[in-house]
Amino acid sequence: MLLTSGLLGLLYVIFAIVLFQVLNVGLVPMLVIVVGIAVFQYYTSDKLALAAAGAKVVSREEAPQLHDMVERLCGMADLPKPKIAIMNTPVPNAFATGRSPKHAAVCVTSGLWERLEPKEVEGVLAHELSHIANRDVLVMTVASFFAMLAAMLTRFGLYAGMWGGGGDRRDNNGPPVWLIIFAVSILVYAISFVLIRTISRYREYAADRGSALITGAPEYLMSALQKISSQMTLIPNRDLRQVEGMNAFFIIPAKAKSAVGELFMDHPPIEKRLAALAEIAREMGRPVA
Amino acid sequence: MGLRDILSGRKKLPGPKDDRLFALTTAAVTLQVELGLKCAGAAAITFKPQSSGEFRSAFDDVDKLLDAVAQQSGSTVERKSDDYGYDWIVVHDPQLEDLVGTAHTLASELTAQGFGEQLLAAIFKFDGGANPVYWIYGFKRGSFWPFVPSGKDQRDNATELELKAKLEHELPIEPDLTRWLALFDAPL
Repeated sequence: MLLTSGLLGLLYVIFAIVLFQVLNVGLVPMLVIVVGIAVFQYYTSDKLALAAAGAKVVSREEAPQLHDMVERLCGMADLPKPKIAIMNTPVPNAFATGRSPKHAAVCVTSGLWERLEPKEVEGVLAHELSHIANRDVLVMTVASFFAMLAAMLTRFGLYAGMWGGGGDRRDNNGPPVWLIIFAVSILVYAISFVLIRTISRYREYAADRGSALITGAPEYLMSALQKISSQMTLIPNRDLRQVEGMNAFFIIPAKAKSAVGELFMDHPPIEKRLAALAEIAREMGRPVA
Repeated sequence: MGLRDILSGRKKLPGPKDDRLFALTTAAVTLQVELGLKCAGAAAITFKPQSSGEFRSAFDDVDKLLDAVAQQSGSTVERKSDDYGYDWIVVHDPQLEDLVGTAHTLASELTAQGFGEQLLAAIFKFDGGANPVYWIYGFKRGSFWPFVPSGKDQRDNATELELKAKLEHELPIEPDLTRWLALFDAPL
């Protein structure tokens, strides 16, 4: 994890230096836009994600059991109670969002609540609460920021190239400025894409571990993961595509991808997660004193 | 939570803070004199059991000790579990001191065995008002908060806030109202 973040940090520095050296127009307005979008996303992440998923925040009267369950898990993890939302789809899944524990929301699908045992639901909820405790939205926003910047610059470089007929040259021998920006941006984007997914996978393991600690029973999260993943593939793709955009937030991605390299996935493969949880289950009894 | 914890994502469960439990015994006088609330002779401690064998055997030891303590003070102890997978130790004793003492024993013994993180809350019942009044002690927070249920899934916030105002100086009361966990199904 530290190595990955370090690499990502190094990449940003290099990227910034290259930008500074090569680009001399339009940087400030572009930065303002990109930073603005990132800040907006960060501050509205709870509402944005809930709205994007079509989830509805439920009151204690509407879902008393769910509220009780979350309240107690929050008590165990020493977290303030997040907003609780339900997404009306038969696909069993859950996600958490929000920039800080005080502005967080947990969403479960109606399928999760109906198809899983209460203790399994609890394991899933504890996993989502661990994401909140670990501030994963903050981490992922920061991590994705430069990837987004790079993507925008790629486009900017393209337009500059098309309209400016090669753009302004800094000297007569070098390649056109827009080409350099374009190439660097693509490279930055590709590398940060892989790094972001590496971080994301690491955060999943961390949240699984947090769930085991909060519930004291990793076996229920294990059976929940197994149930969710086996039911995901049984359900027709039409349902799954509706929720596909939310993948990074979900406990298990909505669409089963075939033979994609692990490097490009935002969740670790289910077998690896189960193996890691089994390891935690073996460790757990030993007091750490 | 430090930057390092955020980066590594390895937050541990917070350990128990049981040292402020005894504040309730001093506040009991004010509760009785000013508010007419008397100890109802029942308290319960709730914790999340781990499924590991080590926890089970450690808890067996704690359990035996609890019986010994209960016998000494003449209180009765019951064990229950609820729908949410938490275990409850219910103590009956007319003396509030003994109830608090038993709660503290359980907490410190579990901590000594290395399982203090599993403790959630202790709840003490008081009679004398229109509805029974409960004081809940959150082991993670190390503070108390009032809980006055007024029907199914409803709590009397006005009375709770009044209790907070009147006892703020004697009892470490949780300042963050969002942490005032409800325990509607406490087996008291």
